[in-house]
Amino acid sequence: MMDMRGKAAIVGIGEVPTGHYPERTFADAALTVAEMAIKDANINKSEIDTVIPIGVVSNSINNGNIVCSQMIEALGLGSHAKSNFQVMSGGSSSASSLKVASALVATGLSKAVLVVHCDQMGTQLDLETAISTFSKVSVSPEYETPYGWSQLGLGGMMQQRYMHDTGATERQIAAVVESLRKWAALNPNAMMRTPRTVDEILESPMISTPVRKRMMNVLADGAAAYIVTSPERARDLTDQPAYILGMGSKCTNFTTTQQPSDLVSAWRPAAEEAYAMAGITPKDIDVAQIYDAFPVFILISLEILGICKPGTAGKFVEDGNIAPGGKLPCSTNGAMMAQGHTGAGGGIAILVEAARQVMGKAGDRQVPNIKYAVETATGGVGMDMHVGVLGTEV
Amino acid sequence: MSNYKKPLPLITPTSKVFYDGCRSGKLLYQQCLDCGQVIFFPQSICPGCLSHNIEWKQSKGKGRLFTFTITHAAAPSEFSEDTPYVLAIVEMDEGYKMMTNIIETDFDEIKCDMEVEVVFDKVTEEITLPKFRKPK
Repeated sequence: MMDMRGKAAIVGIGEVPTGHYPERTFADAALTVAEMAIKDANINKSEIDTVIPIGVVSNSINNGNIVCSQMIEALGLGSHAKSNFQVMSGGSSSASSLKVASALVATGLSKAVLVVHCDQMGTQLDLETAISTFSKVSVSPEYETPYGWSQLGLGGMMQQRYMHDTGATERQIAAVVESLRKWAALNPNAMMRTPRTVDEILESPMISTPVRKRMMNVLADGAAAYIVTSPERARDLTDQPAYILGMGSKCTNFTTTQQPSDLVSAWRPAAEEAYAMAGITPKDIDVAQIYDAFPVFILISLEILGICKPGTAGKFVEDGNIAPGGKLPCSTNGAMMAQGHTGAGGGIAILVEAARQVMGKAGDRQVPNIKYAVETATGGVGMDMHVGVLGTEV
Repeated sequence: MSNYKKPLPLITPTSKVFYDGCRSGKLLYQQCLDCGQVIFFPQSICPGCLSHNIEWKQSKGKGRLFTFTITHAAAPSEFSEDTPYVLAIVEMDEGYKMMTNIIETDFDEIKCDMEVEVVFDKVTEEITLPKFRKPK
C-alpha cells in the first residue's frame, strides 16, 4: 500500500454556529462555510478542482441540489473544477471524506478538495417525526422494528452493558457531559454553553435507562467545511497546516442486534491502523476529538484509542482528565452533546475542531504545544469506528 | 380489523417462515449446512460462506439478557402509549442475538446476564411476536 503518512493536509476550515437558525437558509450556510474555508486557507479558488458535499438528512431536495453541483456554481468553480460527488456514511462521513480527499490529493487526481457539510436538523424536522423516522433507519424491518427501538434506546442499551461490564457509575457517565459542557462554554459555535455539574445532570429526568435528559444530544442546524491539498502546496499557503498522518477504520455491522458484544476489541484495529501509519503510540496524543452521540461512546472510545485500559475510562473522566486543564483534553468543541447534533455533520465538526487545534486557531480553548491530535467518528447505530491522526509536522 | 397500532414486521418469503413458526409456538433460527454458521437474522444466503444451503432449526427458547433499556419518554410515536417499556437484546443459548421486549417481569429484577425465556405474544391474527421474561 502507498504510504499515506503526510501526503495530504488540511489547510482551511469554516464553520457557522450550531443551533436553531430558522432564518439561515441551506444554500447560504453552505456557501458561507465554503467561503470561510477558502479565505482561511488563503487559497485561490481556482485551485479547488473537487467538491465533496456530505449527505443532507433533513431535506432530500437540498441533498439533491448539493449532489448536483450547487456549490460548483455558487462558488464560480465551473471553469476549473473536475468533479462534484457525495460522500455519505452518516456520522462517520468526516472520516470517509477525509480518506477520499486525502487519496485524491496524494495520487494527484485532485489539486485541492473542498468538503462541505450543511444540514438543518433543528428547524426542518419536527422532533416527533425525527424520532419516529430515525427509529426505522439502520434497523431490521423484519426483526427489530416491532420492538420500539430508538436512537435513545440504543444509547440506553450501550450504556447499560458498559456499566455492567466495567462497574462504571452514573456519576462517571455524567462527568463526561460535565466536561463537554465546560468545553462548549469556551466555544462560540456551540449550542449548549451553560455549564452543568454532575449533580445537575443526574437530577434531569430519566428518558431511556440509564440515559437521562441531560445525557442526550439535541438536533441542530449547522454547517462546516474543510479544504485538503498536498503538503507542498500547504506549506506555501499557511505557516501551520494540519498534516494528515494516519487513518484507520473498522466497519462491523448494520443493526444494533448484530453489533459486536465487545466493541473495544472489535474496533481497536481502527486505532492500531491509524497509529501504525502515523508512527505514534497513545502516549503521544496531545488532544483527542472523540465522536460522541452519547456519553458512553466517549468512554468506550477512550479504551479503543488505548488512552485508558478497558474498564477504566469512567474514573479517568471523573478525575477531570478530559476537561479544560486536564491531562488529555477531549472533544474540545463540546462534541455533539454540547455543540449540537447536525446529522452527518457531528463528525465533521469534530474533525474540523481537530484541524483547528492543530492549526492553533482554537481561541479560548486552544490546547498548548500540540504535536499530535486524534479524532474519531462512528456512523449508523454504531456500525463503524474511524480514527484519524493529524499533526503539526510531517 | 386489528386495532394494533405499532409497526408489524415486514413479511418476506424468509421472515414468513420465522413468523409462521412463532404463530405455532416455535422459535426458529437458521444454520448453514456447508460451513455450520448459526444464522440470525434469517437470510437466504449464509453470511459466513455465501452458501444457499441453509436449514431452519428450532431454538429451545432460552438465553440470557445481553442488555436492555427501560424507555420512559421520547419513544417512537407508535410506542408512546406503551411507556415505560423494556427494549432488550437477548443472547440465545444456540449462539445468536435477538432484539425483543422483556415482559411479565418486575423492572427491579431486570439485570444484564439474567436468564430469560421466550413468551409468544399474539399481537394480530397473523403476527405473533417473540418476547422474553424472567423464567417463572
